[in-house]
Amino acid sequence: MSIKIRFFARFRELLGTEVSAEPTPGMNLTGLIKQVAAKNKEGYDAIFDEHGAFREFVILMRNTKRVDSEEAGNVLVADGDDIAVFPPVAGG
Amino acid sequence: MLSERERERYKRQMMLFGDVGQERLKNAHIFIAGAGGLGSPIAIYLAVAGIGELTILDMDVVDQSNLNRQILHNDCDIGKKKTASAEEKLRAINPDIRVNAIDQKIDEINASRLIGNARGIVDAMDNFPTRYTLNDVALEKGIPLFHGAIRGFHGQATTILPGKSACLKCIFPKAPPKEVFPVVGVTPGIIGTVQANEVLKYVLGKGNLLTNRLFMWDGLESRAEEICIEANPCCAACGTKESSPERK
Repeated sequence: MSIKIRFFARFRELLGTEVSAEPTPGMNLTGLIKQVAAKNKEGYDAIFDEHGAFREFVILMRNTKRVDSEEAGNVLVADGDDIAVFPPVAGG
Repeated sequence: MLSERERERYKRQMMLFGDVGQERLKNAHIFIAGAGGLGSPIAIYLAVAGIGELTILDMDVVDQSNLNRQILHNDCDIGKKKTASAEEKLRAINPDIRVNAIDQKIDEINASRLIGNARGIVDAMDNFPTRYTLNDVALEKGIPLFHGAIRGFHGQATTILPGKSACLKCIFPKAPPKEVFPVVGVTPGIIGTVQANEVLKYVLGKGNLLTNRLFMWDGLESRAEEICIEANPCCAACGTKESSPERK
C-alpha cells in the first residue's frame, strides 16, 4: 500500500515536498502524518502541539476533500490516497 | 470615452479586448488593502492596465527593511507614509487614472465604509484577522475578494466570489500564529501579479478565475500547484447551516 503525502509552505521546508508512505493496515490519517512527520522534530512540532493534537490552523486534504483535523483520527487511509498538509501562509 | 492618449497607452492590450474591455477597466474601482510587498505589484499592474479608480490603504511608514520587496517605495521615501509614497508613484505611472490613498488602520468597524462602492477588494495584508474582516465585507457587499499571502519563497492565491465559491474562512478557518515572516521580494512579486491578473480577468469577464482553487507557489522548486477547495456549509462566515457553533 502506498500513499502520497504532499506538504506545502513551511511544512515543505521541514518535511520535504512529497513523501510516499507505507502505512500499516488500519492506520488512520493522524497516525500516518505523525509517522511521516516524526523524521524531523521541528516539522513534527510545526504540525502537532505538545499533546500530539493537530495545531488548529493546519489544513488537511484527502483526495481533494477537506478533512477536519479533529476527525482525522477516525479517517482510515487507503491505497492510492493523495494527502495534502499545509498551513495558511500569512505574510504580505 | 477613451482619450487619444489612453488609446495609445493601451494599444497593445486593446488588441486583446478592444474598446469594450478597456472601457470596463476604466470604469472599475478596486480597493487594495495594503501598500507593502503584495500591494506594490498589485497597484502597479492595475495602474498600468488602466483600472480607472484605485483606492489603496495602509497605516505604516516606509522603513529601510521594507525595500527588499515593497517596490512602490524607494530609498528616498524612508520615513514617508506608505500611502503618500504609493499615491505619488501611481500618479506618475499613469496620470489617466484616479488614485485615492487612505492612511488608516482598517478594522471591522470602519472596513465597510472605507471600501465604499469599490467593485472588488484585493487582499494585500500581512495578517489573518484583517483578512477575515475583508472577507466579511466582501460577503456583505457581494463583491470579490482577491486573496494572496506569502512567506519566504512560498505563496498562495485564490479568488472568492460570494455565493459562488468557498470564502476565506471556509479555506482557512483558523489564523496561524503571528510572526515576523521571512520573505524575498520576488515572492510577493509573483503572487501579487497573480492577484492583479485575477482582478483584470474579473473586470473584463475573461478566462477562468481562481475560484474554489487555491494556487500554491513554491519558488524553491519553481513549481505551481493547485488544491481544489469547496465551500463549507458550516463556515462561521458564509455557512448556511445554523449548527455551526462559531456562526454569529
